[in-house]
Amino acid sequence: MTFIGLVILVPLLAAVAILCWRKRSRELALSATGISFLSSLGLLFGPGSELILPGLPNMPLRLVATPLTALLSTMVAVVSTLVLIYATGYMAKDKEKNRFFATLLLFIAAMQTLVLAGDWILLLSAWELIGLSSYLLIGFWYEKPGVKTAATRAFLVTRSADLGLYIAAFMLIASAGSSDIATTLNTDGSIAIVAGIFLLIAAMGKSAQTPLHDWLQGAMAGPTPVSALLHSATLVAAGAILLIRTAPMLPPETLAVIGVVGGVTALVTGLMALGESDLKRLLAASTSSQYGLMFLAVGAGVPLAALLHLIAHAAIKSSLFLGAGVFQHSRGSTALSDLAGVARDQPRIFIGFAIAALALAGIPPLSGFFSKDTIIAATMAASNAWLFAPLALAGTVLTGAYMARMLRILWQGSARKKTLVGLKQMSIGFGGLVALVIVLGVLFPSIETFIAMPLPGNRLAVVLGLVAALTGLLLGWFIPARTLMGPLLEKANQGFSLAGGFDRLCVRPVFVIAHACEKLERRLYAAVLAVGQTGINIAHMTRNSDEQGIDLFIFSIVRRTIKLGNHARTLQSGLIHRELAISVIVTAGLFIFAAIGLLMY
Amino acid sequence: MSVELVWALITGAALFGVGIYGALSQTNLVMIMMGVELILAGALINLVAFWRYLHPDAMSGQMFVLIVMTVMALEMAVGFGVAIARFRSKGSVEMEEAAELKE
Repeated sequence: MTFIGLVILVPLLAAVAILCWRKRSRELALSATGISFLSSLGLLFGPGSELILPGLPNMPLRLVATPLTALLSTMVAVVSTLVLIYATGYMAKDKEKNRFFATLLLFIAAMQTLVLAGDWILLLSAWELIGLSSYLLIGFWYEKPGVKTAATRAFLVTRSADLGLYIAAFMLIASAGSSDIATTLNTDGSIAIVAGIFLLIAAMGKSAQTPLHDWLQGAMAGPTPVSALLHSATLVAAGAILLIRTAPMLPPETLAVIGVVGGVTALVTGLMALGESDLKRLLAASTSSQYGLMFLAVGAGVPLAALLHLIAHAAIKSSLFLGAGVFQHSRGSTALSDLAGVARDQPRIFIGFAIAALALAGIPPLSGFFSKDTIIAATMAASNAWLFAPLALAGTVLTGAYMARMLRILWQGSARKKTLVGLKQMSIGFGGLVALVIVLGVLFPSIETFIAMPLPGNRLAVVLGLVAALTGLLLGWFIPARTLMGPLLEKANQGFSLAGGFDRLCVRPVFVIAHACEKLERRLYAAVLAVGQTGINIAHMTRNSDEQGIDLFIFSIVRRTIKLGNHARTLQSGLIHRELAISVIVTAGLFIFAAIGLLMY
Repeated sequence: MSVELVWALITGAALFGVGIYGALSQTNLVMIMMGVELILAGALINLVAFWRYLHPDAMSGQMFVLIVMTVMALEMAVGFGVAIARFRSKGSVEMEEAAELKE
């Protein structure tokens, strides 16, 4: 139980410590991943445990260590430790080491949470966190042109695919009434089909499957250790891990879709890798294609085959990227034209690199041979074998071809000697991973019994796989990509964009809609303004009629009254005796008038 | 011996005339009021004379005289009140100067 906490918390705390302390970031990062690695070993060999944390009402957050999650956690820990050792050399001259190691540790903590999460809510949070930290890492060298765009692109593509995970998770929680992943895996019927499709969408985004494969190549703008860790072993693996973990729930209909997506991706991105002119972008395309093979295995109903290939691929692709990083430092570029002959500068690194490349192609007794063999056997045993098996074999041929082409370009050329800073640490990390590449295959039978899942065996598959791999290698070594691919090369270099790609399919229509909305908005604005103007006009008219009509009438009465008052006032003298005299005279006059009247009467 | 009615009327008329003259000739508010008092006094003598010589048995004449005297007292109170207020604000009670209200 404490191991689970250590695996996640130690890298997280180390990240915070680096950000606060801003010193000795290398040592802190290395010791944190070391502790995390040891704890994950504790999980692997200890009894299965579960850590329940307080969360939403009736939905506690769970971290579980089942054989599967413990194995994945160990894989993440091993790869991240070795990559970190390498990174201490690779980033030796970089000024922003603190930020780099802190973000990398945050990513590792998030990935461990994702792997060990036992309920959907924690899984969603970890999923978001790895999205965020991968965005930060891809955009690490944000001053360079194009890096920001690549980071934003990667973030947006994976982010929009993430919506699928949200929908799937909420559907499953709503139907099972619990956020526990193990409980929701009992879901069946139409909900399982639909939720499975949404899970596939999320996984397609993270694992860079066709048609969402484009962001991964752009993501190569980040530092090479980032590519090695994120884009081969962890971030991209999240999609495959999601499908492997939910595989028991997926109904045959969804599995068929997953298999088709994986197979198409393996072909499309394999062809792209074959035509690629940049080493890191080639490796990125190859990553997509290998994850396509894993999806194919999940689709064939054998998630264990996908898991084995995932583990083997994590070691292989990390070591390939690490080797590519050394070459990059050696020549200051990742374009294949600049790297011609770089193998002669760094012969020892190249030997390891070649071993990893051959392992990926599927040459015995390297790990890739065993995992690829299980995938081919799985597809041959599947109900859709007529479709899946040829796809898997074609993917294998392509893998061999692009790996051989890459090795040939790196080998042919002249040496340019240059001493490298931090080569020692880089070699340690690289060497560790190459050793894993060589020995992992031996461990597969024990993993098989450890996980206790069925795995089909097939002699024919071994032979076919080997033949396919050798065919590919020979094709790639002896025939240039241009003649091999013919008219496909052009399209592959454009990323097989269908009907103009995202630009034509999504961006333009969105702009059109936006313009239409803007026009409508302006019209609405004008209409509202007109209504307001009419109101103001009516008010003006009312005010005028008030002022010219009623007010004028009332004021004229008032004025006349005042005038009359003024006239009346002039009658008064204000002198009392004068008024008195007038009244006396008038009264006297009245009396005299009355007296005369009386007398006359 | 008894005084004839006509003598009483003559006395009243004389008082009335003196009062009219006083009220019209004076410019001082107090003096004007004196004149008014004399007019009223003349009228009272007439009232008393008519009651005494023509209807000595009816009480209404006496009552009428008492009421008129009361009214006189009130009229004086109001008049002097006005005079005092005028004096306090302007320092004189000359009526030639008290025509501002017209303005």
